[in-house]
Amino acid sequence: MITRSDTVLSDSAPPGARPAATAVTATSATSAATAVSVAGVLARVRDTAEEVFTALGDVRAATAGRARAVRRNGRGLASDDLAALRPLLFGHLGAIIAGIGFIAAPGLLADAPWYLEWWQENPTGTPVQLLRDLDPSSSAFYDYTHWDWYTGPESGVERTICGPYVDYLCTDEYSLTLSVPVTLDGVFLGVAAADVFVRRFQAAVVPALRDVPVPALLVNTQGRVVASNTARWIAGSVYRGAEGFAVRPVPGLPLSLVEGTGR
Amino acid sequence: MAVSVARLAVFSPVDSTARVDLVVRRLTDAIALGLVADGEQLPSEVELAGRLGVSTVTVREALMALRQQGLVETRRGRGGGSFARAPSEFDMTERLGALAVDELRDLGDHYAAIAGAAARLAAQRSLPSDIAPLWRSLDEMAAAESSAHLRRLDGRFHIEVAAASQSARLTREEIRLQADIGPLLWLSREDLEGHDETAAQHRAIAEAIGAGDADRARTLAERHVLDATDHLIELRLRLRE
Repeated sequence: MITRSDTVLSDSAPPGARPAATAVTATSATSAATAVSVAGVLARVRDTAEEVFTALGDVRAATAGRARAVRRNGRGLASDDLAALRPLLFGHLGAIIAGIGFIAAPGLLADAPWYLEWWQENPTGTPVQLLRDLDPSSSAFYDYTHWDWYTGPESGVERTICGPYVDYLCTDEYSLTLSVPVTLDGVFLGVAAADVFVRRFQAAVVPALRDVPVPALLVNTQGRVVASNTARWIAGSVYRGAEGFAVRPVPGLPLSLVEGTGR
Repeated sequence: MAVSVARLAVFSPVDSTARVDLVVRRLTDAIALGLVADGEQLPSEVELAGRLGVSTVTVREALMALRQQGLVETRRGRGGGSFARAPSEFDMTERLGALAVDELRDLGDHYAAIAGAAARLAAQRSLPSDIAPLWRSLDEMAAAESSAHLRRLDGRFHIEVAAASQSARLTREEIRLQADIGPLLWLSREDLEGHDETAAQHRAIAEAIGAGDADRARTLAERHVLDATDHLIELRLRLRE
């Protein structure tokens, strides 16, 4: 989950992007088949991401609700209060989500300057809490406010997708982190985030990509490939713009679809 | 033939004592070098076992050994757990004496191969957002005031380089090799060339990766490991048995 990585803003496009319209005006039969299959990819990507962002919406609502209830009782939010989120977090682990939780803004909690209420799935079935040294003076890693999954929501971006990146601190897996801001009465409390292994995301979207009759790749806004139907660009490689390819943003998500135009 | 040899390896007995020793060695190095700070709480036995890929019994035995060495203190009750206790000094001689020259060479070769491959791929695949953390680590190293902090940042820098390769396997190997030989290499560099030269090598690696110069990044990363390994071997050869 914790990374330097590619925070991407909604509806922005990678370097070398051309307006989507140039990619979708062709009228031949092949292009019609492409258009149908591309619509299938966009729907699949949207559904997959939506599943995660819906879970994050739940975490956000529950966290803000907890913070409001505690404040009503006239005291400050503490790390123990966040334990109430656990049944909700556990319920979201296992399908596509490998880790999920709330990351507190530094100084939010009365009893811990830095805190993650973060849970990961575990092969044995019982979720495991990620416990790390969160004191930046003694840990080389855990000032989480640098990471783009944190800075994106903190700066007001509604939907952030970080990665793909090697998540060397939580799971050692090639992962995506999706995150949203948690606020109460307009004040930023922290971030609700979830980890998705790239291989699981691919399992969800590659079948749809395979139906596209031209080379097609899903990229983040920096051009890092998330999934594709071609060995020329696989997850982890970078699309830096190429002749004969067109880029269209995926509506509502910080991702784009790159397709061969056959020209 | 190849198959039967492979099967022999598969069914050879797993040495549980060696596993305990390995866990002890890793945690000893981490505590001795301040990677785990004095007084810091260690993860639970279950989490340690999961992270290290060993059984909780192995972890428990290793913690017992560390308690006997005074490197870990266990408190019971609420707020209890195992806590690191920093020793006065890291005993490099003892640590180095435990490794034969050919083991050192082999560890160095393995580490250089991993570090070199990771740096090459990082140069090919990284985006500006992968390079930024490298420079942040180097800036923090330049400002670091304690040796333990510097060592932690050094580890972080090399893991960030590996992660920039986009290879989870290479990153895992980098982490594993850092645990196995990183502390010795670090002390060797301090002894050999001091922090300024090490910092210059780090900057050169980061620059080559940032410039997308794959061959140069690989050569520099390999040299960074091999020079320190050579010096370690020199030291080892001079040790009295």
